Amino acid sequence: MSRNVEYAAAWMYRGIWGVLTRWFRVPQHPPSLPTVSGEPLQSFRPSDGFLRYLKLQFWLTILPTEIFITIGWFSVVAASATAGRPWIVFLATPIAIFLATVPQTLGYLAIHLRYDTTWYVLSQRSLRIRSGIWTINEATITFENIQNVTVESGPIERIFGIGNVIVDTAGGSSGGSTAHGKGATNLHRGEIAGVSNAAEIRQTILSRLSLSKAAGLGDEDTPPAPGWTAEHVAALREIRDALRTKS
Amino acid sequence: MSSFDPTSIERPDRALMKYYVITALLTGPLSVIVILPLFFKYETLRYRFDAEGMSMSWGILMRREIYITYRRIQDIHLTRNIIQRWLGLATISIQTASGSSSPEMNIEGILEADALRDFLYTKMRGAREHHEETPGASTIRPQDEALALLREIRDLLREAKP
Repeated sequence: MSRNVEYAAAWMYRGIWGVLTRWFRVPQHPPSLPTVSGEPLQSFRPSDGFLRYLKLQFWLTILPTEIFITIGWFSVVAASATAGRPWIVFLATPIAIFLATVPQTLGYLAIHLRYDTTWYVLSQRSLRIRSGIWTINEATITFENIQNVTVESGPIERIFGIGNVIVDTAGGSSGGSTAHGKGATNLHRGEIAGVSNAAEIRQTILSRLSLSKAAGLGDEDTPPAPGWTAEHVAALREIRDALRTKS
Repeated sequence: MSSFDPTSIERPDRALMKYYVITALLTGPLSVIVILPLFFKYETLRYRFDAEGMSMSWGILMRREIYITYRRIQDIHLTRNIIQRWLGLATISIQTASGSSSPEMNIEGILEADALRDFLYTKMRGAREHHEETPGASTIRPQDEALALLREIRDLLREAKP
């Protein structure tokens, strides 16, 4: 019985989901990167733990509001009963139900939309991160431009076995949230959020970063500055000695 | 990718004006005021992509022209909000290493945004293997040459010594 209900729910969910993803124009294919032929492309999405983590976060914020709405509704009922105006209840009930369900449903859908749009692609030279709900953003960063790589995970995230890899490129690190409005993050930053193998990804990025010979900023086409090594100094000393013995 | 030629891009697509109208209408009563600068931006917006970099200019009273060399690109962001997705548009935000956290250039109104983004990607810093361009024969490092010269001088001096 419950299994049938589950199937029906899953089917319903997928049906609604199909409409919703089409309406939201969720990209059908994972992002790709132009690569040299034969170059492996690693494309993945956040782990299931990330979805569970987002849902837990969601329920933790939802529960107090639901309790608040219920208390409010009861107090309205009590007040209307004492005031002798029972029609207020008929007005308050639909409002309470609306407040208790609609924003929460939308929030829950948003979590799934967010999870569905999130994709990470790693190539030998660069990474591409797709994320967002209303605004889908695809960031492309070459490893050569990366200045530092951070792994971050909160206590609850660690319970779900996930972490975030944060990649910074040179430039302003101030949030810039005022200039871009809500939802805009620092554009000099890429965040691979909610992956189960954060340390491994960081290691991959760092090892590919070290492959590139150019360090930091500047044109990598300029040849390395000529410098003196110990051999040069030794040769020069020999010249000096040769000249000394001559004189 | 090969059929895509960025040098042919000069003007944004007409869909951009549609997008501007929609965004202006969303501001409600302010839309009459908001639409004007957007209209002039659309009318004056020009793009130029050459071998080394790209430029973007717009404005009537305050004219702005931005030029960015491909090699200096640090991050490329391709953003599409829901209205842009419906209209098939996108914003490509280009960032260099300058201090501002807002993008240096926002390329709007290009229908082949993905192709353009990938074109810029192949031109940006670190996207190509540049070590292959310098084969072993032509790369005599200056310090090596200096060392060879010094050794030569040393030997000559030794020979000259009676």
